[in-house]
Amino acid sequence: MALSEIAEAGHRTDVLAGTKPRKQARNRRWAFLGVVPFFAYIAVFLLIPTGKLIVGAFTTTTGAFTFSNIASIFHAPYPAAFEFSVELSALSALWGGIMGFLVANAVLHHGVPRWVRPAYLSFSGMAANFAGIPLAFAFTATLGNLGVVTILLKHLGFNIYPSFSLQGLLGASLVYLFFQFPLMILLMIPVIEGLRKEWREAASNLGATSFGFWRHIGLPVVTPSLLGLMVLLFGNAFSAYATAYALGISNLVTIQIGQFINGNNVFAPQDAYALAFGMIVIIVITIIIYTLLQRRSSRWLK
Amino acid sequence: MAQVSASPAAPAALSSHRLRRVRSRVPVWHLLWLLVAAIFFLLPIYSVVQFSLEGTLPGQGVFHWYETVFDDPMFRSTFWLSIQISLETVAVSLLLMVPTVFWIHLRLPRLRPVMDLITILPFVVPPIVLIVGLAPMLRKFSWLIVRPEVLALIYVVFALPFLYRALDAGLRAIDLRTLVEAAESLGSSIPGTLLRVILPNLRAAIIGGSLLTVAISMGEFTVASLLGFFTFPVYTYEIATSTAYEGVALSFISFIFVWAAMLALYLLGSGGRGAAGVAITD
Amino acid sequence: MSTVELRDLRRTFGSVVALDNLDLDIRSGEFVSMLGPSGCGKTTALRIVAGFEWPDSGAVIVDGQDVLGQPANKRNMGMVFQSYSLFPNMTAQQNVEFGLRVRKQSHERRAKRASELLDLVGLASAMSRYPRQLSGGQQQRVALARSLAIEPKVLLLDEPLSALDAKVRVQLREEVRRIQLELGITTLYVTHDQEEALSISDRVAVMSAGRVEQLGTPAQIYSGPRTAFVANFVGTMNKLEGVVMSSEDRVVSCGPIKVIVPDPTFIHAVGENVELYIRPEDVAIELLPVGGSPAPGYFEGRVTSLTFLGPVTRVGLRTDIGALLADVSSAVALNLAADAPVAVQLNASSLRSLDASPESQSAPVS
Repeated sequence: MALSEIAEAGHRTDVLAGTKPRKQARNRRWAFLGVVPFFAYIAVFLLIPTGKLIVGAFTTTTGAFTFSNIASIFHAPYPAAFEFSVELSALSALWGGIMGFLVANAVLHHGVPRWVRPAYLSFSGMAANFAGIPLAFAFTATLGNLGVVTILLKHLGFNIYPSFSLQGLLGASLVYLFFQFPLMILLMIPVIEGLRKEWREAASNLGATSFGFWRHIGLPVVTPSLLGLMVLLFGNAFSAYATAYALGISNLVTIQIGQFINGNNVFAPQDAYALAFGMIVIIVITIIIYTLLQRRSSRWLK
Repeated sequence: MAQVSASPAAPAALSSHRLRRVRSRVPVWHLLWLLVAAIFFLLPIYSVVQFSLEGTLPGQGVFHWYETVFDDPMFRSTFWLSIQISLETVAVSLLLMVPTVFWIHLRLPRLRPVMDLITILPFVVPPIVLIVGLAPMLRKFSWLIVRPEVLALIYVVFALPFLYRALDAGLRAIDLRTLVEAAESLGSSIPGTLLRVILPNLRAAIIGGSLLTVAISMGEFTVASLLGFFTFPVYTYEIATSTAYEGVALSFISFIFVWAAMLALYLLGSGGRGAAGVAITD
Repeated sequence: MSTVELRDLRRTFGSVVALDNLDLDIRSGEFVSMLGPSGCGKTTALRIVAGFEWPDSGAVIVDGQDVLGQPANKRNMGMVFQSYSLFPNMTAQQNVEFGLRVRKQSHERRAKRASELLDLVGLASAMSRYPRQLSGGQQQRVALARSLAIEPKVLLLDEPLSALDAKVRVQLREEVRRIQLELGITTLYVTHDQEEALSISDRVAVMSAGRVEQLGTPAQIYSGPRTAFVANFVGTMNKLEGVVMSSEDRVVSCGPIKVIVPDPTFIHAVGENVELYIRPEDVAIELLPVGGSPAPGYFEGRVTSLTFLGPVTRVGLRTDIGALLADVSSAVALNLAADAPVAVQLNASSLRSLDASPESQSAPVS
């Protein structure tokens, strides 16, 4: 995820910034020309569309300022969609966060066989990117009505249907877990590596058990990062569209937004703008929380 | 004072051997979590393989659904289309990003915080949100909106954070200014230096960033389906909703594809760092 | 107080032998340094004593008991690490209290002990600061207090000063020694800095390739190195190559100069090639007047370099017996210039012959 890097980058000092002779100073006046194509591109394909939808969220079709678009978010079916989006994202982030942390810690244990680390890391890199259509159908083949595991469980006497469904909170969060969990493993590994060997050894030397180390030092030190990364996972799940679409979940914000778009046409654009704006607000909040937590943990893990 | 137990000391060599083995033994719960993860990851993959071999009629081969899929001309055309779009995305991304990141490192280091901010934006504005603002804009360019190349232009934005990160890290790893000054003193022009000195040094970063870009573009469904293009993921979706077996077979093919890309990335990255690249979830 | 005996410790990492049947005895209340270049096995030995590593064979005996059967957290040994070992989420006081907290001691006792120890290391005022708010030297003081808080049987220090500035390093090593003497705690200290080892230890074990080359008091080590390795590693040595002229009288000729080796154990056949060593401070020089020739017992040399070292200046010389270094008072050195002719004299009583191989040096020490 780009974000984990970004927080770091914030603290970075400019190695390249230095005093330069006059010739360079003259050049610098024109140096910005070199980045014009990039910023123009970003403006056209990212900044202007974003600006347009934010403005659109607060204007009528004729361009007059209004809060009525935003107000419409609070009418059915949107509150339920936001609620389910938040629940699903939070649950999958919670599961993924905790499991990812535990597995990352296990992978880094010095006693595990040598092949474990590359195997888990490369697989995680794959699984974290394996979201979307194929993932949804992979789970249909696993835990769908006729899924391999469903039928296996049925043979064993456990009939998970109809109480279970891949469209429900539990089922959908399991599907999301398939990318959240490995993502957390990848993001958590540098955090756990940040726990210095000297801390473990000093704790042990002073009489603490492994449990004592985690209770007094390990967990207090990694908790901000752990929470921060779980917030990141939340944002990751919150903006997912394709997986949910292929699973046939309809009461998610992203799916609701998708329903307004058909080709190059946006129906009821003011509602779509308002919903999209609502999503941006929630993601910005998660990023702010993430940054604050990251700042706190970087105090210790430097 | 800690009291040592009075048990007679075993032969030292023997006891210490035993101890070392005890110490390096992984706690049971670590193994348990590794096992849980392995089951969780492998069960869907096993199921996909199993499922895709089922549902055949008598007389049809085990790999019937794969045969059906491979025989479908739509499979080949959509796969080819997605490959084309991916390569276009990589080409545009590299053309746009390599000179920009190079230039920022060399002459405009003050812009780096701005770049850091811009690279968060695709996360703040995920594909489904971006398309809401972008689709009405694209309508005004009717000649563009009907061409699949438009997808590549949009995917460049999604790939931006990953490519930027890879290039930024690659450039930070070399002493750019010294390299450029050395090349200049030997009479090379700036574009010449970029081409002949910097690019070879950035090879790993460029290949890594490109692989991630391919993985992102190949799997992108949201924008492609909403803009009405029939790419490989859209085709997979359409097939799966009509014939589940074929859809699952297609899923397995995608899985292998992503795995190959990520494995290449992992092998490329020094000791696994490369594998940490993760696309925004689609 | 406790005694520590390292018995026949052997540890290999693949084909690399880290410890080659190491033996070392530390008496109760003694301060012993393991001194050696990186890779000589000194840190491995210390970590085996602490319980973070295990030997392939051998024993670590504390007060007559083999402790290899105990995990690190049961050995009751205080360890000070090279750096960054303070728990980042705890204040200085909490760090010092940690060992007592694990031992379930009461709040009052912990607090009392922590303030005593922080007082001892001169950091009473910093008790509520976090590690990141402390300088490197202060952090190591807290780490020392923390390791002492559990009243360890043995204090282990793994290059605790190597990450600090030169000035802080000197100041802190004196304090480590003061505290050690005050508490009378048995201490094993690992360092690659010979000056550090010589200045604070009761005895120094000079290590090379996984074994002790020489164990002795700092004075013994410095003035009586028993192997070429020790001579070269501790301080600076001039090496002279010569041929034995007389076996009984121990006369060696180094080029045109003849010297008598004072060591009565020097037994070599006539005609044998030998190496002799002498410290720069045992080489005397006098400025020769222009056109003058050296007095008897002196030989001629020319100044090739002058390195100011404070009170003394190290003079590089080119002589008939090869390049030599001589330490002279800096006041005297003011009269010297490059290429100046000088008369050189070797302090014959300081000449020694050393065997390069440690095998022949297994005679017991002390």
